[in-house]
Amino acid sequence: MLFLPELSYVLAAFAFFACSLKKTGDAAGYYKLAVLLAGMGLLIAVVSSRRQGMLFFDCYRVDMFSQVFKILLALGTFWVIFSSRELRGIDDGQHAEFFFLIFVCTLAMMMLVSSVELLTIYVSIELSSYSLYLLVPMRRNADQYIETGIKYWMIGVTASALMIFGMSLLFGVTHTTYVPQMIKTLPALITQPAAVIGLILALCGFFFKLAFFPFHIWAPDVYEGSANQVTAYIATASKVAAAAMIVRFTSLSAGAGPGIIKFLIVLAISSMAFGNLVALIQKDIKRLLAYSSIAHAGYILVGILSFSELGYASAIYYAAAYLVMNYSVFMVVMKVADDGRNLRIEELAGLHKRSPILAMTLMIGLFGLAGIPPTAGFAGKFLVFAAAMRKGYLFLVVIGMINATISLYYYLMVIRAAYLLEPENECPPLPVDSPTRCLSVALVIMMIYLGIFPDRFLALTQAAARSLF
Amino acid sequence: MTGFPILSAILATTILGLLTILFIPPQRTGLIKRVSLVSASIGLALCIRLFLSYDRQQGGLQFVERTLWVKSLGIYWFNGADGINLPMLLLTSIVLFTGIWTMWELENRVKEFFALVFLLVAGVYGFFMSMDLFWMFVWYDVSLFPMYPLIAIWGSTRKEYGAMKLTLYLLAGSALILPAIIYLWVHGGAQTFDLFELQKIGFGLFDQKLTFLMLYLGFGILAAVWPFHTWSPVGHVAAPTTVSMIHAGVLMKLGAYGILRIAMTLCPAGLAYWSNLMAVLACIGIVYGALAGLAQTDLKYVIGYSSVSHMGVVGLGLATMSVNGIDGAVFQMFAHGAMTALFFSSVGYIYDRTHTKIIPELGGLSKTMPIASSFFIMAALAGVGVPLMASFWAELLVFVAAIQVFPVGGIAALGGLIISALFMLRVVQKTFYGDKNPRWEHIPDISGFLAVPRIMLVGIILFFGVFPGIMLNVIQSAVIPFVNRL
Repeated sequence: MLFLPELSYVLAAFAFFACSLKKTGDAAGYYKLAVLLAGMGLLIAVVSSRRQGMLFFDCYRVDMFSQVFKILLALGTFWVIFSSRELRGIDDGQHAEFFFLIFVCTLAMMMLVSSVELLTIYVSIELSSYSLYLLVPMRRNADQYIETGIKYWMIGVTASALMIFGMSLLFGVTHTTYVPQMIKTLPALITQPAAVIGLILALCGFFFKLAFFPFHIWAPDVYEGSANQVTAYIATASKVAAAAMIVRFTSLSAGAGPGIIKFLIVLAISSMAFGNLVALIQKDIKRLLAYSSIAHAGYILVGILSFSELGYASAIYYAAAYLVMNYSVFMVVMKVADDGRNLRIEELAGLHKRSPILAMTLMIGLFGLAGIPPTAGFAGKFLVFAAAMRKGYLFLVVIGMINATISLYYYLMVIRAAYLLEPENECPPLPVDSPTRCLSVALVIMMIYLGIFPDRFLALTQAAARSLF
Repeated sequence: MTGFPILSAILATTILGLLTILFIPPQRTGLIKRVSLVSASIGLALCIRLFLSYDRQQGGLQFVERTLWVKSLGIYWFNGADGINLPMLLLTSIVLFTGIWTMWELENRVKEFFALVFLLVAGVYGFFMSMDLFWMFVWYDVSLFPMYPLIAIWGSTRKEYGAMKLTLYLLAGSALILPAIIYLWVHGGAQTFDLFELQKIGFGLFDQKLTFLMLYLGFGILAAVWPFHTWSPVGHVAAPTTVSMIHAGVLMKLGAYGILRIAMTLCPAGLAYWSNLMAVLACIGIVYGALAGLAQTDLKYVIGYSSVSHMGVVGLGLATMSVNGIDGAVFQMFAHGAMTALFFSSVGYIYDRTHTKIIPELGGLSKTMPIASSFFIMAALAGVGVPLMASFWAELLVFVAAIQVFPVGGIAALGGLIISALFMLRVVQKTFYGDKNPRWEHIPDISGFLAVPRIMLVGIILFFGVFPGIMLNVIQSAVIPFVNRL
């Protein structure tokens, strides 16, 4: 029963595997089936969220931490599939494969957040990565974007190779592949070079997934080159899974010497600074969001760096807020570019007239990403900075806030396009169907609710963080 | 005090106004304006009631509402009113009410405009009434970011540049404020954001020096402290009338109030350490604002630079750390708020009709529109600090205190004031007297309906000029205990 959420995704994947064997598919029918299955998966994840226990020779731990992340993953997957009604970015014959791979990837990430054993972790990561390697080049006019797929795969396997090498070093030092035992034995051994290198290399794999500077090179190209729905999936669900992994794995280095902590601080600062500065000059909205995701990875790391319960809780809070805000922005992008093209920022011109509700969702989502109260993004940044300050990292907080101010500029440029610029050619109003309308309102309410009433969700993330210790 | 939560009710008027406007279809502009005016007037009525029912003898924090908001961090929903924020709340309600009335002729994207104005003012009210550092920061930011669309959509001269500059400057200020607030929270035991509980803890000397500087610079940007003032004239010129009124009238006070309420309350030793810096920057601001004002040819730039100069007076008063100085500073915030609101309101009318605010292009306006001109002239007289105007008493108090504490700076600042008198009178002379420009002859004088908000503002300036004691009593009830603790 503990495995129920994962099982539901296994079933969903099988269903679409069967569909993909048919020669001709019914796109509308697939969409309905996918929404149904994703909704069911979300429901099961929520219903079974109170269960806790161990599975598979203690390789697999179902606890508050994994349950919170499973709900977030199920939510992100549901949203992305919900927005895939007009899947024009992907060839008509491949819709079944698209849904199949999305479900497999979600399954892998759900396993990832529960795994507490190195090999299980590795297998889950590879499963999710290979689904993404296939999803990324799956796009209409794939010839134009073929480079993207190859680049992503090349860099991805290199990162995996480094990670498995790091893991093997860790195993050699600690004589165990179980993370909980490693947490106990590692602090005593952390002075050994092999332990340090192993830890850093293993972490690099996760940093690659979360696109930290300097492991970010794939992110802008992949964001730009993938179909909008795939990009939305990478930017929301897969980021959440990677954040979960970083939280779980970085806690390994809690007792580590100042060397590793300095390494992480430098990483956090350079990610924030690099992501925000390069985002300033972007013209394509997906590229802009790619660079902003690099910066947000830095903020999450600032929270984790405090190695305290509040720190982990704040990082989880931030990841959840990021999921909601980023999805809001992507939902608008997918709606505006409903023929599956890439969207330049100036193409948002006049959005406030074409669809006031989408413009509002976009504005609140972007203000949230910029960390303006009263949105979830502010609460997340506040918690992250509060945790870092408790460790005495005043300069880190100041740098983080300066970065938030820089990031405001490019978010404002997007808002400016949506609210101020007049389109060159008169654009027709954008029809928004009522489910999307409801979802927009729900997202706005969610973003503001998480910003004004952080108490209950914070208590949940704190409970999740406690189960890490 | 338990009972009716009047402070939350004041805040609720703006948020309910905002929500109501969101549900009105955009083409029904008349209804939107009426709803706006009604909710602003309810807020005004509540603020006047609050001001009158405040117990001056007892003093201290009254109308307190306090509930726990986030337990694990110690965030409270904590509102209260004392002699320092009462004048500010009253000012906010007056400026909002008159500002909405002034903007009655707006036709372009009415719904969004009033919705954003209410969002902005919700932030202002919230910041003034809250006594919890977390909420103060939240409200502070809420009051800043609507400025961007408000200026960039409805503004004029170089609006996008002005809007972006203003937003980035002010939010860069909050990049210093938030770390300072979290720093104080951590060093106060990470238990509470309650301003008064933190005050009881008493911070170490180093902490006080550090956080005072961060808070002073952060809030100082919004209070247009020289050399961080450059966003202010540009932003004021670009903004539409109501937004200029709210911004120069109320929002800049947020900065000064933040310095007084957070930085000076929590870090008195930091204040003592940095007070010379504050005084020097304030004096430079007074003189610089006046000199820069002298060279301007755009009416709104003139007012913008006079604001820099007048806010310098506030800063100087705070730096004296004496009863008179802080009394005067708080009173100056109120007086300057009413005065600049009147300034921008009267320029707004002139600009709406002539579509220019360049002084040499105007001229002789007092003959074509005597009533509209008289409002500007009244504001200019208040700006000069003529007796029987509210700002006269405020400036008098500040300068009396300043000359005792900082003799050189005080005299320099007085010199700045004389220059500002010069440039105000020069502007009045060139714009409203002198040769009539035939281009403007056909323009009708201001209608009775549109004159109402301006008359209200004139009335307020005169009323508190003739009876300054009514305001000073309230202010003193808070300032005297405050100075005794320093």
